[in-house]
Formats: sequence, C-alpha cells, structure tokens
Amino acid sequence: MKAVGKYITVLRISLQNAFVYRSNVLGGFVFYIMFMFVFFNLWRAIYKSGEVAGYSLVQMVWYLCMTELIMFGCRTGVFFQMNEDVKSGSIAYQLNRPYHYVLYQFFNALGGMIFNLLLYGLMAIVIGMIMVGPIPGFSFSTLPYSLISIVLGMCINFFFLMALGLTAFRLEDNTAFYLIYQKLVFMLGMFIPVEFLPGWLQTITRYLPFSYMTWAPARLIVAFSWELFWAVVPVQLLWLTVSFVLTMGMYRYGVAGIQAHGG
Amino acid sequence: MKSLKNIFRLIGLYFKVNLASAMEYRGSFLLQAFGMALSNGSFVFFWWIAFQQIDGTIGGYDFRDVMFIWAVTSSAYGVSNILFANMNAITRLIVSGELDTFLVQPKDTLINLLCARTTLSAWGDLAYGFILMIFTHGSDAGAWGMFLIAIVIGGLLMTAVCVSAHTLTFYFGDASLVGGMAMEFMINFCIYPEGIYRGFVRVIMLSVIPTSFIVHIPLKLARNFHPGWMAALVAVSALYCCLAYRFFYKGLRRYESGNLLITRL
Repeated sequence: MKAVGKYITVLRISLQNAFVYRSNVLGGFVFYIMFMFVFFNLWRAIYKSGEVAGYSLVQMVWYLCMTELIMFGCRTGVFFQMNEDVKSGSIAYQLNRPYHYVLYQFFNALGGMIFNLLLYGLMAIVIGMIMVGPIPGFSFSTLPYSLISIVLGMCINFFFLMALGLTAFRLEDNTAFYLIYQKLVFMLGMFIPVEFLPGWLQTITRYLPFSYMTWAPARLIVAFSWELFWAVVPVQLLWLTVSFVLTMGMYRYGVAGIQAHGG
Repeated sequence: MKSLKNIFRLIGLYFKVNLASAMEYRGSFLLQAFGMALSNGSFVFFWWIAFQQIDGTIGGYDFRDVMFIWAVTSSAYGVSNILFANMNAITRLIVSGELDTFLVQPKDTLINLLCARTTLSAWGDLAYGFILMIFTHGSDAGAWGMFLIAIVIGGLLMTAVCVSAHTLTFYFGDASLVGGMAMEFMINFCIYPEGIYRGFVRVIMLSVIPTSFIVHIPLKLARNFHPGWMAALVAVSALYCCLAYRFFYKGLRRYESGNLLITRL
C-alpha cells in the first residue's frame, strides 16, 4: 500500500501543478481549434460527393475531434524528457531515489494527461456541437466504456513514446524514429479512419498498435457497439502490456550501461 | 543598390559558414534531413487515400495540384529555415536582451540576426519539394518554372510573416505564441486546397497571412501563365517583405538594452 501511496502522491502533485499552470494550455487550445477548423473545411469539401466508407460528415468531424483530443491529451513531452534526462545525465540522480524511474515518469505525466483530457474534452464537445451538432444515435450510457478505451489509447501511446525516448541510451540522435512513429500514428487512425485504408493495409494495421491509440476509441465514441468494444479493448490491454514491458526492458538495458564518475 | 548587394553578400557568407558547420556533424545532418523528408512523405499517403474516396477534385484541386502546393510549401519552408532560421528565435532574443550583440555589429541588424542560425532538418524539407515535383510533374517545364519562382517568393514571405509576428514583442511583450501561431496558420493554409475555405479566411489568405501568394496563385500560374498575375505576385510579395522590414526597424526603436554580456561562438 505504501508503495502505491507514493505514486498517488506524485499523481496528486502533478495534477495540482497542471491546474496551477492552467494558462499553459491556452496555446494548445488555439492549435486544437485551428486543426479542427482546417479538417472540418477539408472533409466538408470531400463529403460534397456523399458518404465516405461508412462515416457520415457528422461522424467524421466527431471522429477527428476525438482523435485530436487523444493526441492533445498525450502532450506530456515524455519523449523529449527521456532524451534530456539521458543525454544530460540527470537520470543518474534519479536512480537512488525511493521510486521506480519509469513509474515515477508515468504518474508524473498522468496528472497532466487527466487535466488535458478534461479541458480538451470540453473543447472537443463545444467544437463538435458548433460544427456539426450532436452525434446521431449517441448514448451517454456507453460513454464510460468509450472513456476506458480513450484512457487505454493514451497510456499505450505514452509507454511507446517513453520506450522510444529511452533509445537515447544507445543512440546519439533518435529524432528520426520519433518522426516516423508520429507519422504512423497520424496515418493509421488519427487523420484517417482504418476503414478508409485499402484492404491489405487494414489487415496489417489491425496487427499493429497505432490504430488502437486513436481509431479504436474514436470509433467507439461515434458508433458504439458491444462487438467493437469486446474486439478492441482486449487488444488495447495487450498492447498496453507489450508497451509497458518494452519500456521496462529498454530502461533496464539502458541503466545497465550507465557509468557514474561522481561529481 | 550597394546596400542590397551587401545584404546578399552577408546572406551568402552566413550560408557558407552554416553549411560548413552542419557538415562537421554529417551523420546527424543526414539523419535529420532524411527524417524530415520521410515525415513529409507520409502526407502523400493521406492525400492518396482522400482522393481514393471520391471521383474528382477536392476544393477545386486534383491530386497533382495538391502535390504542387505541398512541394512549394515544403521547399519554401526549407529555404526560409536554411537561410533565416533565427526568425523563430526573435522573441527570445529580444526578451533575453541578446539582441544587443547584433546591434553593435556593422551589418544590417535584421539580416544579420535572421541568418545567424540554420536548421539542419530544413534541408530535408527543401529536398522533399524537389522529389515530389519529379514524381508528380516530371518534365512539365511550366510547372517547374513556377515551382522555382514560388519557393523563392514563398521562402521570403514565410520569413516576412514570422518576422512581423515576432516584432510584436517590441510592442506587447513576449509574442512567441503569436509567432508560433502565425507559422502554423501559414503552413496549414498552404497545404490544403484554397477552395475548401470561404469568405473571411480567403481574405486573410490574401492579406495578413499571404498564403495565396505563396502557393495558390503560383499554382494558377503554373496551370495557365499570365504575365499580369505574375507581375502582381512579384509586386505584392516585394511590398509585403518591405513592410515587414520597416515594421521590424520601427519596433526596434522601442528596444531597451539590458546590458547583457554574451559571447557568440
């Protein structure tokens, strides 16, 4: 219990910090509105020729509101934090502290993620309602289940980003990996629903983690069904386990190579 | 005329020094440039999927048109960030007092300031535009001609918008958010068909954030060249750059030195 308690304290402090420095999200709000405005105009132009791959324009706009919400919610800077900690050597100062470095980083970021989810969530609802109105057939009773999927998607993304950041232990410059990862998340679910992809790519995508970060939760919000819920949530749990184990492995492998020379 | 010659000479010298400095870390330089080109490349996939969903055009543009505006935007962004990368740091330099260093040097302050830094990954942006043009426009001489003109005009206009936004720091304090937003708005209005926007946004695209002059008018000229439009494009772009230049120097009069001592290495 004591072991869990310290991480809860870390979470509480990070949540307090997020609320104290709430004006930091102002810039994010502007960018969120801008992206949604651009995408709304783009998809409205595309939809002039009718429904596309099973999504109505209303569903598509809400889908994008949700995928952007997840991505803005995940803006914790964990990749760059890992790079900074490893390259500056400041990670060495955290090794002898009474917490596990990976868990500390996770709970420290979790406060910001919860804060982002609340604020950007409100923003997403306002924008969605203004642009296209309510989601047809949406039921509040299924919202908690969709939220579970959203949180799982954010956690998967967090741990994969952390694992990528920890490659700094062995690589001088890992920015290219970050850019490639980011674009895979964008293209396999965030900007484009998986249903829009060619059949062969849809098959490959279902075996990769990227669509389970954005597509799965956003699809559950715009067109909830229990079949979909039971099809995607277990896979999300599996990818969360994989990403967590990978991060722990990367951390152990990296830490084993640290050489401290005092100072 | 002599002063213009000096400005080009200064830009050329900074370019040589920055390039030599980048070449000291060849591995990092190539990796960053390659990563950026690959990152941009993923958007071809997005547009391919988007055009697969419909028969026809999006906002009046077909796939080749979209690739043209993407190529111009990417290469123009590359040009501005290879030659004038410090444009994104103007606010920081003003707020921290580091501007003093540039004020005491016997060169044009704004040009000296803008050219003092380069962005390695911008080479990837520049190269990406050319690669995209090769694959989508092949040997279309008209399109290539407008592409080359547009990346020069676009690079200068992007820099001018960024300088204007950051110059607001002289008047209202830290304008880094405005500077970041100006750049984001500019890129987002450049990489999507003009026809998807209506009314007020179109006015903005022709005035405050002149993206129509960076990509959309060059595209029209590449499709159907008209000397009058070409002259208007060059004249408006030159006017915008001159106004940004004057605006910076007007703002500079309000700058107060903090007597900060720093060394430029």
